[in-house]
Amino acid sequence: MADYQAPLRDMRFVLNEVFDAPSLWASLPKIAENVDPDTADAILEEAGKITGGVLAPLNREADEQGCKWNDGEVTSPEGFKEAYQTIVEGGWNGLGGNPDFGGMGMPKTLVAQFEEMMQGANMAFGLAPMLTAGACLALDAHGSQELKEKYLPNMYSGVWSGAMDLTEPHAGTDLGIIRTKAEPNDDGSFNVTGTKIFITWGEHDLAENIIHLVLAKLPDAPKGPKGISMFLVPKFMVNDDGSLGERNSFSCGSIEKKMGIKASATCVMNFDGAKGWLVGEENKGLAAMFTMMNYERLGVGIQGIGAAEASLQNAREYANDRIQSRAPTGAQQPEKAADPILVHPDVRRMLLTMKSYVEGGRTFSTYVAQWLDISKYAEDDERRQHAEGMVALLTPVAKAFLTDRGLETTIIGQQVFGGHGFIREWGQEQLVRDCRITQIYEGTNGIQAMDLMGRKVVGSQGKFYELFAQDVATFIEENSSDAALKPYLEPLAAALERLSDVTEHVINQAGDNPNAIGAAAVDYLDMFGYTALAFMWAKSVKAAAPKAEGDTSGFYTGKLKTARFYFDRLLPKTVSLAEGIRSGSESMMALAANEI
Amino acid sequence: MPDYKAPLRDIKFVMTELLNSEQHYANLEGAEDATPDMVDAIIQEGAKFCEQVLSPLNRVGDIEGCVWSQDGVKTPTGFKEAYQQYVDGGWPSMTADPNYGGQGLPSSLGLVMSEMVGTCNWSFGMYPGLSHGATNTIEEHGTEEQKQTYLTKLISGEWTGTMCLTEPHCGSDLGTLRTKAEPSADGTYAITGTKIFISAGEHDMADNIVHIVLARLPGAPEGTKGISLFIVPKCLPNEDGSAGERNAVTCGSIEHKMGIHGNATCVMNFDGAKGWLIGPENKGLNCMFTFMNVARIGTAIQGLGAAELGFQGSLTYAKDRLAMRSLSGAKNPEGIADPIIVHPDVRRMLLTQKAVAEGARALIYLTAQQADVVQRGKTPEERKAADEALGFLTPIAKAFLTEIGYEAANLGMQVYGGHGFIAEWGMEQNVRDARIGMIYEGTTGIQALDLLGRKVLMTQGESLKGFTKQVHVFCKENADNEQLKEFIEPLAAINKEWGDLTMKIGMTAMKDREEVGAAAVDYLMYSGYAVFAYLWARMAKVALDKMAEGTSEEMFYNAKVQTARFYFKRLLPRTKTHAETMLAGSASLLDMPEEAFAI
Repeated sequence: MADYQAPLRDMRFVLNEVFDAPSLWASLPKIAENVDPDTADAILEEAGKITGGVLAPLNREADEQGCKWNDGEVTSPEGFKEAYQTIVEGGWNGLGGNPDFGGMGMPKTLVAQFEEMMQGANMAFGLAPMLTAGACLALDAHGSQELKEKYLPNMYSGVWSGAMDLTEPHAGTDLGIIRTKAEPNDDGSFNVTGTKIFITWGEHDLAENIIHLVLAKLPDAPKGPKGISMFLVPKFMVNDDGSLGERNSFSCGSIEKKMGIKASATCVMNFDGAKGWLVGEENKGLAAMFTMMNYERLGVGIQGIGAAEASLQNAREYANDRIQSRAPTGAQQPEKAADPILVHPDVRRMLLTMKSYVEGGRTFSTYVAQWLDISKYAEDDERRQHAEGMVALLTPVAKAFLTDRGLETTIIGQQVFGGHGFIREWGQEQLVRDCRITQIYEGTNGIQAMDLMGRKVVGSQGKFYELFAQDVATFIEENSSDAALKPYLEPLAAALERLSDVTEHVINQAGDNPNAIGAAAVDYLDMFGYTALAFMWAKSVKAAAPKAEGDTSGFYTGKLKTARFYFDRLLPKTVSLAEGIRSGSESMMALAANEI
Repeated sequence: MPDYKAPLRDIKFVMTELLNSEQHYANLEGAEDATPDMVDAIIQEGAKFCEQVLSPLNRVGDIEGCVWSQDGVKTPTGFKEAYQQYVDGGWPSMTADPNYGGQGLPSSLGLVMSEMVGTCNWSFGMYPGLSHGATNTIEEHGTEEQKQTYLTKLISGEWTGTMCLTEPHCGSDLGTLRTKAEPSADGTYAITGTKIFISAGEHDMADNIVHIVLARLPGAPEGTKGISLFIVPKCLPNEDGSAGERNAVTCGSIEHKMGIHGNATCVMNFDGAKGWLIGPENKGLNCMFTFMNVARIGTAIQGLGAAELGFQGSLTYAKDRLAMRSLSGAKNPEGIADPIIVHPDVRRMLLTQKAVAEGARALIYLTAQQADVVQRGKTPEERKAADEALGFLTPIAKAFLTEIGYEAANLGMQVYGGHGFIAEWGMEQNVRDARIGMIYEGTTGIQALDLLGRKVLMTQGESLKGFTKQVHVFCKENADNEQLKEFIEPLAAINKEWGDLTMKIGMTAMKDREEVGAAAVDYLMYSGYAVFAYLWARMAKVALDKMAEGTSEEMFYNAKVQTARFYFKRLLPRTKTHAETMLAGSASLLDMPEEAFAI
């Protein structure tokens, strides 16, 4: 098993050479206050050290140990407590947080790189800071000044952690039907009662306090999603002087035995008249959740890339070391019993597929992060709204496409190992098991596809889609005279046209057929993702081509060759997807439930 | 965990209605016992055993796993008793040679039982599955004495068997194996070496374990032509046939792995263990190949089983779980939400699994019939033709079915949302168990090389033509059938394109030795979808004909036609991508310098 090394070289390429992030940051005054290229670079360097040196070495053993539940208390695997302390001391927990309350105010473009490293090094661990960051976002956006002052500083520092309590045994995707109740008290607080499940890091021994954001219904609240409110429910009450008071009346009833991310506690939380405070407005809890959803969903997409990167690092090391059979064109290493398996075309196909997804995916997640930064920090209304449209459109793609490709990559990474890939000690099968949840939580990928196709594309009558299509079209036009780019621009233009045609087709169908969106959704998201990755690879070629001449490191020439592989071997998937989408919904809906 | 229900109606549909098993068995030599009543009774009994005995042990096997100690390997609670019932029921002997205690039934019938066993409890099924490999080896290549000593016990199930091939440094490339066999004065051999990944290599379910071991004789030629086969029993047989003293072979450890926890994956240390040569010296690999096809069909079943089990589990859940309303209006207005089966995307996931499971069953049974003919065909011509068909279909069945079966298992898990990730529902176990199918018994990549390189191109496309000709005849016969048109037209187009693509790759391969490796996996996947198109079109025809005749099972047959339609509209288009990528050539794979991978 290779030691995880943060892919800093590629991250710098993406940030500086593909997107020129420093210029973006300079254009956003609130960001420019906090970061310059040198600071950003130092942060990357340190992040690489801490994720590779502290988090990654714990990953394998923690999977074997898992979390332990005992009478409401959860013990994390060996080393997690110390590692968490290191993260807290380094200030990593509040990297993207609001500086008014102790956050560091770093742009998402940069934070995304740190997240990828953390998730690639140790996903089960990485979920703890991730959940805290999500809770902080929601609190920062919707909490009262009093709540923010009381809770945010300790959450940004990581002394306290956060959890998001949405799902109930009977309600996951469909939060409109949750049953947890919140009864008002005279002092302005509420008594929260109900059972929540699948609460990631809902209970643990890493931090002094755990701040739960709980969705619940007020008495007489309207039915459905419009009757849900959000409450802050701390594990320990917080006294006025900031010290911790008595234990609140809720506890962790059990933790789940699950396929992967075993080192993170997935908790059943029983709230028994627990004291909580309303966050945001009554009955607007779901809307409040949505403000952080875009960040969280990108974060989950990034988990997919992180796992994929770790798998790629292992696979290429193995492919270089493992000797087996001879190259079809004759022995490459005649002094050995056989050639390294990297000589075999099919092994290369596997590695190049992995590399295409990982590096293309990293570029895409940074692209989306860039729109998040603009949407949050741009001072010009038009620029901000444009970015908000892009974020709305691209978020479900980032979440679903990157986790789908993430899982595919980890499965391929396992295949490169042959039988050893199935054995736990090599680590490849763990990455598959860990990555598998990313397609499910934070809205299943089917739900993401419905969000993209239904709410974003059809819902805006193609308006959001046009923003993206225009960005691609502009790139193609601006670079039309670039000879190095030409072989990529033509298939990119063809892929864009194919996607635009299909988009129009589904928008038209959706008018008369309510099932048209659901029938097309997953294939459409996939097709969108492949097209977007083609755009990313074309952008990477543009950045790499001028430097490829005389490149002895292999980095830039490698970029060009991987791009070529992507266009030759992976982009053609859009052809099949388009055909499937055009076949419509009839073949899916014709069977009665009992006929299936 | 989903309670397994043997899909008896579909098994019957594929066997009798699609593949006319009655006629098929009547045409075989020595298959007189396989009368329709007998076949039915056997399948019913097998189904009962699987549903009641093996299915409940599947979760137990996963949770407990096998436990290694110095004294041996303990199998999960209930496995030993279940194996005893399996033996008492006569299942190990079903398809074996009657001269040594077998029942002589055709292999294809044995594979139906393997399907049911493997679907409800793959880990358990591997123990008898591995015995099958050893049984076949000794049946084909053993001396009379070896057969009397070992075969009878393997067939009765009193002893089990293994296949010891892989070593730490060699899996796909067996030519480099190092285990040695030194001749002893008494005509036996002393076997020394380490074998890994030996499934069922050690356990507590039987009195003895018969290892078939690949090893090298002193002075054997290098590479694959210097490998011989040996029988190495765990306990040396006594004169009276019982298991005697321990041989010098031990299980050093068992692997901790992703899935199939109920089956022991052993490191086997041979330390001058006593062995007997089986088959000619240095022809070990050839001997193995004589029954490789049947073994690979056995592994292909894992893809079918994963799809079937995932489908059964997720269908139940999709009907029970309430979430959101149907987009076309509430379907369950009295409930708090509609069952998720109303949502198009949930249907996409269910129908994909259904199309995969039922298509896989058709492909496995079709391939198994070829194996029957190879073994019992009445004329040499028949046997030869079947052997070619079998050789062609086997790598497709093994690799394609385990790939799409795994995809289906993942969809089954996805239908459950978050609950799919939780162990107690059993869906994630199905995914973990299924993952190994794409790796062992020759990885997907290796199967693809076998198909494109050895089977198709080395026969100048003849083996492909043998199949496409059948498809062509079917299309022609049904060209005027209006109802079938939606299937026949795309099938005919695929059938033609398949040949054209093969030709193009063949031409490129003459100039570029890397071409086969570069195109192989896409070619294999394309071939899988093409074979499925043929089978789904045929199944649609059977169903449409039945409905035209009038049937009380309208719903069953209608579902077949609809699933065929779903297959053609939603899954078959994947061939478009494979067609394009298989022609992309080797340059984009090989131009990348090795160093550039590492950045």
